This record gives sequence, structure tokens and C-alpha cells, in this order.
Amino acid sequence: RNMFSTKAAKLASRGYASVASPSVASTANGIKVAAVAGASGASPLASVSLVINGGSRFESSDFSGAAHFLKGFGFRNTQGRTSFRTVREAELNGATLTASATRENITYTVQCFKEAVPYFVEVLADIATKSKFAEHEFREVARLVAFESLSARHNAETRVLDGLHQAAFRGGLGNSLYALESSPVASGDKVRQYAQSVVVPGRIAVVGTGVDAQELAALVAESPLGSLAASGPAGPQAAAAQAVGGVQQVYESAAPVSHYALGFTTKDAASVQPLAALLNASSRVKWSSSGGSTSLAHLAASSGFGIAPFAFGYSDAGLVGVVVSAPRSLIKNAVQLVAEGIQKNVALADEQAIGRAVAKAAVDAAEAEGTAAGQIEALAKHALGQGMGKALAVGELKSAAESVFSSKPVAASLGLPQDTAYVDTLGF
Amino acid sequence: MLEPVARIVQNNSAFRAICRPLANTWVNLSGYRRLGLRYDDLLREETPIVQEAIARLGRDETDGRVFRQKRAFQLSLSHAELPSPQWTKPQDDYKYLQPLIEEVRLEVAERDAFNSMTTVSRK
Repeated sequence: RNMFSTKAAKLASRGYASVASPSVASTANGIKVAAVAGASGASPLASVSLVINGGSRFESSDFSGAAHFLKGFGFRNTQGRTSFRTVREAELNGATLTASATRENITYTVQCFKEAVPYFVEVLADIATKSKFAEHEFREVARLVAFESLSARHNAETRVLDGLHQAAFRGGLGNSLYALESSPVASGDKVRQYAQSVVVPGRIAVVGTGVDAQELAALVAESPLGSLAASGPAGPQAAAAQAVGGVQQVYESAAPVSHYALGFTTKDAASVQPLAALLNASSRVKWSSSGGSTSLAHLAASSGFGIAPFAFGYSDAGLVGVVVSAPRSLIKNAVQLVAEGIQKNVALADEQAIGRAVAKAAVDAAEAEGTAAGQIEALAKHALGQGMGKALAVGELKSAAESVFSSKPVAASLGLPQDTAYVDTLGF
Repeated sequence: MLEPVARIVQNNSAFRAICRPLANTWVNLSGYRRLGLRYDDLLREETPIVQEAIARLGRDETDGRVFRQKRAFQLSLSHAELPSPQWTKPQDDYKYLQPLIEEVRLEVAERDAFNSMTTVSRK
């Protein structure tokens, strides 16, 4: 029995679209399809991803943690195919199955050979529309979710960044990525309700690399996804992200190393990567003694604490800043130095520093698009209209840096309250 | 080997209509309902498949099963039966375990089939 349809041969088609301008199609009931076909003969590999706009941002209080559970239910029993069969057939094909969740999207990805793409489009359509969410599976998934939440809670950087989002955005984007132990989602039925509310044609995209967009759209239209009702309840809507400044989330911990995340919110997600490049403390020139070209890098190298910049871009907001890590007795001083450094040197950075940041951001973006995960993310954002934005010019970045880094920041700290720098004393 | 034939015969509505009065007589004569049991409480549970099916029962069904079995065991020790208002009603004597057993049996058969198949390389 040949499980691959004959149209598989047509999928190795020529196409030179880049990720920046992918081919986009859509099915009759409104599911967006975006794809980048690699140059023919370049690689026999392809990937297909099902992206559902149902991340933690859209959880109401009754469904707190549901997105984490829905991610855990990827590739589980469906009406027509058991989880065992899905995994075993993927192994026989040499495919990789991944499920991931961000604050906005839940993504199920299959990386496989090009000939196997029609089969895996069926698999993805089945898990979206016909998952059983059985109670005995829920017990397994709940153990996995509990372990992931526990690991996240005990990872300092993850914990402060999660808390930073909560401080900055409150509900919506501020919802934690990780389900609580006391989450109200306590049965497969609840996960099914959440899944049915977000698996709606207007909130789904199927993106692929190494395939042609029109072929992929035809496959999606023939699959069970093609028979989803085009009009119906639109699912949970998130309120527009309202960023709040001057708020701090304090986590008590007597660990020897304290961490402090200082973040600045912005309305324009396209600016977060170049702004993070301005803050960046790492150098592209290894083994240089000056510890990098940015002023914060010099500061960290000379004072003996760690700085890690971060940048999160969402469809209508962005969060950019640094995580300062230092021994417990030095964290207060380190954060004050970093805050001064940002106010003096980063907000009012000169043209040269801005130029370097723009170049670095461009290289970072191009590098990210070279990875499979980066391509899929870029395609998903394009398909779902989640704000790619264009690259900033030097003048635009200068004014963005001035306005963003002089606004009131938010903070999340992991350390002892006696040794914490409080965000309203930092002089912003 | 004859399972598909058996399934067709069993699901034939004429056949079921003929068997129903005989089946009801048999159930009444066997007397498990007089001990407050359901038919699915009496299935042989000492096999891996049925153990897995029982593990998949929901909380309500598991509690009910345990209670009915304890009560029936006590009745059999004291050589008694329940008073007739407490006999299992026909609408309560539904198949709560057999579908799960079938599900687990199919999963085990699928696993064995995958483990014993031969693959042919396309090249």
C-alpha cells in the first residue's frame, strides 16, 4: 500500500521566493497558506507547520493554562489514527514531529522528505480537527505539563522573563506561558473546549518550506481542515496590549546569584530587534579584550556581572531590555549602573552606535531566517498578519531609542527584597 | 478468522430480535442483577488488556464498579441477595467497559502489526 499520493512528485517544484516575500495562498474557507519552495534539487527535505492563533494570550481565567495543555496534546490520539501510529509512521518516514507554543501561537511542525508532505498535511489536519482528548491521555499530558512548568519555575531567566511580561501587560500577553499546578484545566474535555474555540479558519495558517504554496493550499483544502466552517464564532479575542510602566514583579529567592529583568515596552514590534542590538553585550568579534562595542558590554565586563539582552515582538506590542545577573550582594549596584548606562549612553546613543546596531540587527535577522525554526516563525507571522514590519533606518532607530529607553520601564527581580533595586528608584 | 462473520451476524437486527427474549431469560436466570452487579463487572479482569481498560475508566465508573463488587462479595458471603427494588435495572446494565476493552485490544493489535511488518525501501 503506497501511502503517498501521486501528487507528491509535483511538490519538488522550482521556486525562488525568499522568506521575506513568501508565496501566500488561502483556501476556500479562509485558512492562510504560506510557503517558501527551496531551489529545486537543493534539498530533499521539506517542512509543514500548522500554526494556531491560540496561545496563552487568549486564555480566559476559566482556561488558564489551556494553551500549554493544547501544545502537550500535539500528535495524540485522533478519531482515525492513534498516537502510536502517528509516531511510528513518522519514524518510518524519518520525520521529526514538534509542538511549540508562544504567547500568541501554538505550532505543530513536521520536518520530512518532500514526498511525505501530503501524508503529513493529513496528519496535521486530523490533530487539529479530530483529536480525541481522552481522559487517560489527559493524565499523561498533565504529567508532562507539570514537569515543564516545574522546570520553567526553577530556571531563573525563564521565571523573571515570564514575570516581566506579567508586570508589563497584566492579562493577555501577561498570562504565563506555563500552566499552574492549580490550573482550572483539569480534564480532556476542557482542553477540547479550548481547542474547538481556537481551531477556526480565521485563526489557522499552514506554512511550509520546500513546498509550493498553491500545491500546499490544494492539499489543505482536500484535508479535514478544508471542511471547517468558514463562518462561526471567532474564538477568544485578546484586548489590545496595554503596557504599564513602573511596575515590578518581585520573586523572593536566597540563591547566591540574583537576577533582574529590566524591560521597556513599545508599540512597534519591528523595532525590538534593533533596540536589543543597541543593548547587546556580546561581541561578534571573539576574543576581543574590550568586551564588545556597546557601552553596556564594557560596563558588564569591567564590573563583573552578566547582562543578557532580550527582545520579544508580538502583533501589537514589543518588550525589549536586559536581564542583569550578579551575586546577591552586588545585584542592587549592578542594576543601578545598568540603569544609568541606559539613560546616558543608550537612549542618547550617537549615530555610530546606532549604525552598528542596525547592522547587527540585520545580520541577526538574516541568520535567524537561515534556520528552519526561524523560517517557520517568519512564515507564520506573515500568514497570520502578526506584524513583520520593515527594517528601521538609522534615523528611525535613533528616535525609537530615545523614546523607548526614556520611558518608564518594568522590572522583575529574583532575589532577596532587602537587596533588590526597585524600579521606581532607578531614575526613569 | 471468523470474527467479521460473527460481527455481521451479531449486528443483524433480525437476529437480535430473535435472540432478545432468550437473552433476557438467560440474564434473569443467571442472577447477577439480583446481586446488584452489571454484566461488565463480571468480565475476566486478569489480563493485561482488561487491566489497561480498567485503568482508563473514569472516576465515577471506577467508584461504582468497586462498590458493586464489594457489595456483591458481601452478599455472596452471607448467601443473600438484594431486595428486589435494589436489583440492577436493565437501563443501568450498559456496556461501560467492553468498548474500552475493544479500544485497548485494537491498540495492542496495531502495535503488534507494526512491530512485525516488513518495510520495503523505495530506492
